[in-house]
Amino acid sequence: MNGKPSNPSSLTRQGMDYGETADVQEVHAAIQREKREPRVGLEPLSIWLIAVYGLAIFAGGAYLGRYSGNFSGDSLDIAYIPVKKTGPGGGPGGVTEAPLTPHDRGKKIFAANCQTCHQANGEGVPGQYPPLAGSEFTNGGSRRMAMIVMKGLQGPVKVKGQMYGTAVMQPWDKTLADQKIADVITYERSEWGNNASPVTAEQIAALRKELASHPESYSEHDILAAPDQDLPSGGAPAGNGPPKPGEAAKPAPPK
Amino acid sequence: MTSATDIPLKQPAISATAGDAEQLERAIIDASTRVPVLMFYASAMVWLLIGTLLAGFVSFDLHSPDWFSNVSFLTWGRLRPVEMNVMIYGWASMVGMGTAIWLMARLCRTTLRHPLLLVTGTCFWNIGVLVGVIAILMGYSTGYQWLEFPPYAALILLVAYALIISWAILMFRFRRGEQIYITQWYLLGAFLWFPWLYAATQVMLFVAPVQGVMQAVVGWWYANNLLFLWLGAIGLGTAYYMIPKVIGRPVYSYHLATIGFWTYALFSSWTGMQRLVDGPFPAWMITASISATILTIIPVATVGLNHHMTMQGYFPVMRYSPTLRFTVFGAMSYTIFSIVGILISLRSTARYLHFTEANVAYSQIGLYAFFTMIMFGSMYYIVPRLVGREWRYATLIKLHFWASAYGIGLLSLMLLVGGLVQGSSQDDPTLPFIESLQSVLPYLRGLSLAALLLTASHFIFAFHFGLMLFGLGRTSTVPTFLNPVEPEGSEPQL
Amino acid sequence: MKGLIPLFIGLFGTFAFSWVGLTVIPNIQIGALNPQISPDDENDIYPMPQSGMVQLGRQVYAANGCIYCHSRQLRPDYASADLDRVRDAGPSPRPKWGERRSAPRDYVFDQPVLLGEERMGPDLADLGKAAPSAEESPAASPAAPAQSPSPAANTASPKPGAGGAPPSPAPPAMATNPSPTPNPNGTPPAYSEAWHHRHLYSPRSMSADTRDSNMPAYRFLYEKRRITGERSADALQLTGADAPPAGWEVVPTYEAKCLVAYLMAQDQSHPLKEVKSAPGAAPAAGSPAAQPGAPAASPAGSQPAAPKK
Repeated sequence: MNGKPSNPSSLTRQGMDYGETADVQEVHAAIQREKREPRVGLEPLSIWLIAVYGLAIFAGGAYLGRYSGNFSGDSLDIAYIPVKKTGPGGGPGGVTEAPLTPHDRGKKIFAANCQTCHQANGEGVPGQYPPLAGSEFTNGGSRRMAMIVMKGLQGPVKVKGQMYGTAVMQPWDKTLADQKIADVITYERSEWGNNASPVTAEQIAALRKELASHPESYSEHDILAAPDQDLPSGGAPAGNGPPKPGEAAKPAPPK
Repeated sequence: MTSATDIPLKQPAISATAGDAEQLERAIIDASTRVPVLMFYASAMVWLLIGTLLAGFVSFDLHSPDWFSNVSFLTWGRLRPVEMNVMIYGWASMVGMGTAIWLMARLCRTTLRHPLLLVTGTCFWNIGVLVGVIAILMGYSTGYQWLEFPPYAALILLVAYALIISWAILMFRFRRGEQIYITQWYLLGAFLWFPWLYAATQVMLFVAPVQGVMQAVVGWWYANNLLFLWLGAIGLGTAYYMIPKVIGRPVYSYHLATIGFWTYALFSSWTGMQRLVDGPFPAWMITASISATILTIIPVATVGLNHHMTMQGYFPVMRYSPTLRFTVFGAMSYTIFSIVGILISLRSTARYLHFTEANVAYSQIGLYAFFTMIMFGSMYYIVPRLVGREWRYATLIKLHFWASAYGIGLLSLMLLVGGLVQGSSQDDPTLPFIESLQSVLPYLRGLSLAALLLTASHFIFAFHFGLMLFGLGRTSTVPTFLNPVEPEGSEPQL
Repeated sequence: MKGLIPLFIGLFGTFAFSWVGLTVIPNIQIGALNPQISPDDENDIYPMPQSGMVQLGRQVYAANGCIYCHSRQLRPDYASADLDRVRDAGPSPRPKWGERRSAPRDYVFDQPVLLGEERMGPDLADLGKAAPSAEESPAASPAAPAQSPSPAANTASPKPGAGGAPPSPAPPAMATNPSPTPNPNGTPPAYSEAWHHRHLYSPRSMSADTRDSNMPAYRFLYEKRRITGERSADALQLTGADAPPAGWEVVPTYEAKCLVAYLMAQDQSHPLKEVKSAPGAAPAAGSPAAQPGAPAASPAGSQPAAPKK
């Protein structure tokens, strides 16, 4: 059935058989000359190949073991494995450690909100942000300080003999809750060598009511017009306006 | 055992030739596969030409960026995804399916039934790719690499695929012979993995989208699996058929083939995160992919050794057989492809190669140097059997091979070295960022040169294929060799 | 292989292994993240869902293939120099590429998530952050005002006076810059809205020196039209060869505005508990300690931020 093998001498250009034509039968020549369909031999594995396998498995496995971060969904960095909570299962909202003191809470709030301007050491930035350490506002009556924190302060202000005027302090009454304002003021009044009375959430709540009709931020003049007294304790509003100068503030703020 | 000088090319040794009945069977099978396979090949060739021209334009635009900036559908950012999608879904998938169909028919030793399924499938697939391409050009790209076709185009592709896979299942159901040959494992794998892959991805990204960065994970899981489990599997399966078939020897070892196949399936599918090294993901996912990439040394070594030992003593056949030449080139490129994959994955080297052209090099080596070259080889083998003619001009085949080989070689070199240069510059924070672009520009010009070579190569092949398609091939009993064969004992021909 | 059943089981099994391992399990781990709410301040939520223009801008970004040249993710400091880099434009000190690496939580509202594939151009994760603030010359501000979680996310307090401002609230998504100070050579201030428009229209006109970028010019996003009445406030300030002829102006289309809104909204500077911040930045909201307000629905066994190394 095979076609006759071509005569070598009849080969022309490129070794191809341009002359040969229709000696193609029902089964065309391409199939005729084909080898049989492929089959598979059964040579055994080479030992060197097994060595290669071993090396690859070792390398891949070692890499996996070293850099997987415990297969946790939270460890993004290869060398940073998050520490699990030691308390009994911390669900959202559950606090398992001992509750923080107002001082600690205040410190956190300070760090998150106030520190960038007033600095971690409470010294502020000359010309821009007044210091809180040793300042007459921080160490004096809590009313003035609370007013500043609640409603903000604009314009030049003299603190510890220096003028600060280029910056503006934003009001915090809308962004921080009463407890937080109280905590941060308490912290500031007891940190960096300050030693002034703490402030409670009730006092701030009362002050908030009192200042509700005062929308804008204060200027130094407004603050100095308020009495340099602590806020009245017990939550009772002290009247419709700032207490008159000379009126004593009630001591003994609750812890 | 015949030695190298004894290659029974012109006069097959009796022991190697199949019996008459088997020949007749093959002829009938081939005749039945004619229309569907040629339809796939013809569509694929058209998309190849379109994709090559786009690739040339995309490459030029990288260093001469002011062409056509007024036109929205000619902007680089839209043509680049169009080019990649045309090459993958238009060219690679279609030529892969064409070859796979012929191989399935031959290996199942049954004639192709229900060709209408395949013909309809081809038409739908072409429509799907066309719709997707137009959508991207009009500005509806989804933004995911290699998944830029909007969901409606993807749906058309899935419908087309459903037709094709129904056919594949029927063929397999009616197969003859007890053994399932290696190639069939790979092809079955590819046919089953692709729809699952594509459908799952479409669902997880577009129908019920996962949240946030998981979309990127799914996207790259898909892209790498497309390259490995769809195209790569078809490529490897084809190589396992063509190499032993052309030289007439059995594949070296069944055990190697088994190990190679299963480790390939197991490890390659985990490599998706290698494109997202050090990204915003839990470290274990990235590490898992890097480990899997390291472990792909196993299938690469196995398959490489298997092919090498099969070819032992028969390497000179590459001098003559275009099929063997292209296929061996592709199979060797598979090794290089894996090495580059390891380089871009390991965190220490990814520092210099991530976010650079090296990623493009990796994709192109896989898509072209590995898969496309094997497919070219298979086309050189299959097409004569479908049209009953031989390839007309050996010179054109040689030009095709060398232009492609040099083209992809130059492309890979330019992009890998360029990527390294770019990455090194990016890693130095004292240099302004523009410096990294400047450092890679010469390599991008080299890339354009490579694109020219590839364009020439593809047009040559397209012309040659067109001749075959229109019955203008050589009528001959002798295949088209790349070089003259010296018969034993006679003087060398000039 | 003789058995068909083992073959199919194997094919199914190997693929299922990767599908489950690489997509399903990670989806359980990071596929349902919630934005972080600072325990100190219920209004400090990061990330926030973005405005409609920003969402549309994301579509424009995706449709025009920006991911092929720009990334939007910052790699950690041990793996790359991303966090040491500064941008190429702008007055000294130039804005950094970012303060910390990117985390999955940064992208919870992104759909599609456009992490980017290559860096032919710079990373864009913190591009909005690089924009000049509403006041002039942010150079005089204190060390890290914009890094602490901004408590007043919704208040827009008026800021009279120039120079170092207290922590400004995060600008709303459409950061309009009504009167940016132009640079001496007439280009808009770096990374402002006007700068982005001009950069998109004509990237090579922004080159500081002879080294050109190869970014395509997105002129089809802009409209050249006759000036009717007054010059539009949106009109681009173009010079040289790009400038339109007298009586004409170049204005951005709605798509261009959305794209720029998207670019200006790129800001990953907000600290996250799970990510180590840059040294010198304010600590993440809720320093290491009890986390009563830990992000809801974290994966089982949530944890506080580990003590910094």
